[in-house]
Amino acid sequence: MISAFSRKKELKVRQEILKGIYEENLRIIGKKKGVLLRQRTFSPNRVLLILCIAAIVVLAGGNYLDAPLLAEKQTAGEIVMRPLPSSAELPNASDFKAFITNADVSVSRTFGLGVKTIMIDAGHGGVDSGTRGKMGTAEKDIALDIAKRLKARLDKYGRFHVVMTRSEDVTLPLNKRVELAREAKADLFVSIHLNYLPSKPINIIETYYFGPSADSKTQELAEQENAGSQYGLGEFKEVIEKLGQRLKLQESRELAYSIQKNLFVNIAKENGNAYNFGVKRAPFVVLLGAEVPAVLAEVSCLSNRQEEKQLNTEAHRENIAHDLEAGILDYINKGEAGYGADRYAEKR
Amino acid sequence: MAQTDTRKKDEVLFVGIDLGTSRSSISAGNGKREWIESFVGWPKDFIAMQVVGKPVLFGSEALQNRLSLDICRPLEHGVIKEGINRNDEAVKEIIRHLIELAGPASGQKIHAVVGVPADTLKVNKLAIRKAVTEFVHSLMVVTEPFAVAYGMNLLNNSMVIDIGAGTADFCIMHGSIPSEEDQKTVLTAGDYIDEQLFSYLSEKYPNSKFNKNMVRQFKEQYSFVRDTPEEIRVEIPVDGKPVMHDIKNEIKRACESILPALTETTAEMIARFDPEFQVKIKNNIVLAGGGSLIRGLRDHLQDALKEYGPCKVSCVEDPLFAGSDGALKLAQDMPSKYWEPL
Repeated sequence: MISAFSRKKELKVRQEILKGIYEENLRIIGKKKGVLLRQRTFSPNRVLLILCIAAIVVLAGGNYLDAPLLAEKQTAGEIVMRPLPSSAELPNASDFKAFITNADVSVSRTFGLGVKTIMIDAGHGGVDSGTRGKMGTAEKDIALDIAKRLKARLDKYGRFHVVMTRSEDVTLPLNKRVELAREAKADLFVSIHLNYLPSKPINIIETYYFGPSADSKTQELAEQENAGSQYGLGEFKEVIEKLGQRLKLQESRELAYSIQKNLFVNIAKENGNAYNFGVKRAPFVVLLGAEVPAVLAEVSCLSNRQEEKQLNTEAHRENIAHDLEAGILDYINKGEAGYGADRYAEKR
Repeated sequence: MAQTDTRKKDEVLFVGIDLGTSRSSISAGNGKREWIESFVGWPKDFIAMQVVGKPVLFGSEALQNRLSLDICRPLEHGVIKEGINRNDEAVKEIIRHLIELAGPASGQKIHAVVGVPADTLKVNKLAIRKAVTEFVHSLMVVTEPFAVAYGMNLLNNSMVIDIGAGTADFCIMHGSIPSEEDQKTVLTAGDYIDEQLFSYLSEKYPNSKFNKNMVRQFKEQYSFVRDTPEEIRVEIPVDGKPVMHDIKNEIKRACESILPALTETTAEMIARFDPEFQVKIKNNIVLAGGGSLIRGLRDHLQDALKEYGPCKVSCVEDPLFAGSDGALKLAQDMPSKYWEPL
């Protein structure tokens, strides 16, 4: 009697496990859980409901491009909304100009100070997995992998001391990252992140450096990215006041231009859907706290299905690492002041 | 259940495949079990082609003829090395060869379960999927230690440690699909021992000429930890003359180099698990993979874990096929509705 019972229980466990494997495999190839099974029992009611929703969305929205795809509708609620600023909301030109023309001759280059230590920061990690693609690819994994590849590439030159904020999957608050950069006496700080745009099937590339944000959307993004910091308001003010360092700003901006240019030019070759969102200022904590040129690169976009698949290939991650490497080297090598900005302007 | 349907059995051939860095094996529903060393070689040129007489060679045959071949060991750390010229192709050749070895009848559909290392990055599973897709009609990918556990019916309160060449995979089973936290992969495994042994031997016998392949063979023949009464002497040429070398200490040091990571990871994973079930798991630890053949490893692990309370470690009987047999069993148990055409 007892053995019959335990046997039944074991069979049940087995079936659960088999089902789990099936679902996991569906996830690997990027299909939704149980989609195929459900199709067989698709009730007419549900079809009607979905049609209604679709009709409402289309009628109410008017703007067909903005209408979220049905498949993405369910997830949109859980996923961090990364807003997509329209061109009108991009930092306006005069704002930028005021900032750029202010640039004095770069101090570091005037004194011929070279770059020795480069700090690479792989975004998120540990319990904070960042954004997640539809197939389950986590931002933290990809960012870490790219960071490692970038480190390996930079190490080859032998003249840089390359340090990583995290070299494995651990939780690391933002202020800790900043401290690490300080302790390592880093000369450059590059933070690697991935974007997520729930409702647009495009891939955008953008690079940030610290500065007062020019548009509200970026401000929102900054608030999300800063959520992991453990700075109190008082501390934060103090740090902001330290921001009199024009030097850091100029250098960061140049580094950002250089990285953005290399990233975009190369990625656009592979993915026709890639959009250049350019270099932006934003008050990210990681960028502020670091006392050296610091940029945050959103190297890819996990919400784009094609891009997510690509990110899962080693070759693509290596390419991104290569682009970042090229950006950093461009900045270091051909260093007269304003180089990055000029080149960028030409390209446009 | 599904597999009792005899008609279906004839139409479909179930296979379990264990893709390893060093050896890959296949177990098929028709009773065939085969393994090859995960080497692929293509003749370097026209003359080589004449000599070997085949367009592509596998396993030990490829190794024996390696001087006339472009040789490739495509799975590093159990993962397809992407982007390097012929690796994708090599993995495909291995899989095609394995499936040929299993000998499906013509017209039979192939449903495969493939075991891959328990690495966290799902990326690898996708790459392996891509390579296998061409040759099968339906496919599932599972982690290697899980396949071993399933095959041995260790579904509840057990821990499987699969020590391969590229990776050592740890997996805790608790009656459901192991999640990311229940699995861990460390890179100190067979290949790591080879590297250590190579460097120790180069240090001790700087004038002797040996290569990585010889070192691997020494390891596979003599590996042990702790102590062994026998003398370990091998023949290595010095200036062209064969000379006997005593390599006992080097073998011991190299094999023991993987122990710290092994015990630490085991202890850490058990400690992380629900305290109520920790004792049960400690009494149900199973070693699998080629690494489980290292003499004394089981005793060492058992003693090392003693300080965490009583525990029992055992080895699988047939490490070469444990993974593929488990995968086969999984394939046969899988309800037919889950098999989807690719």
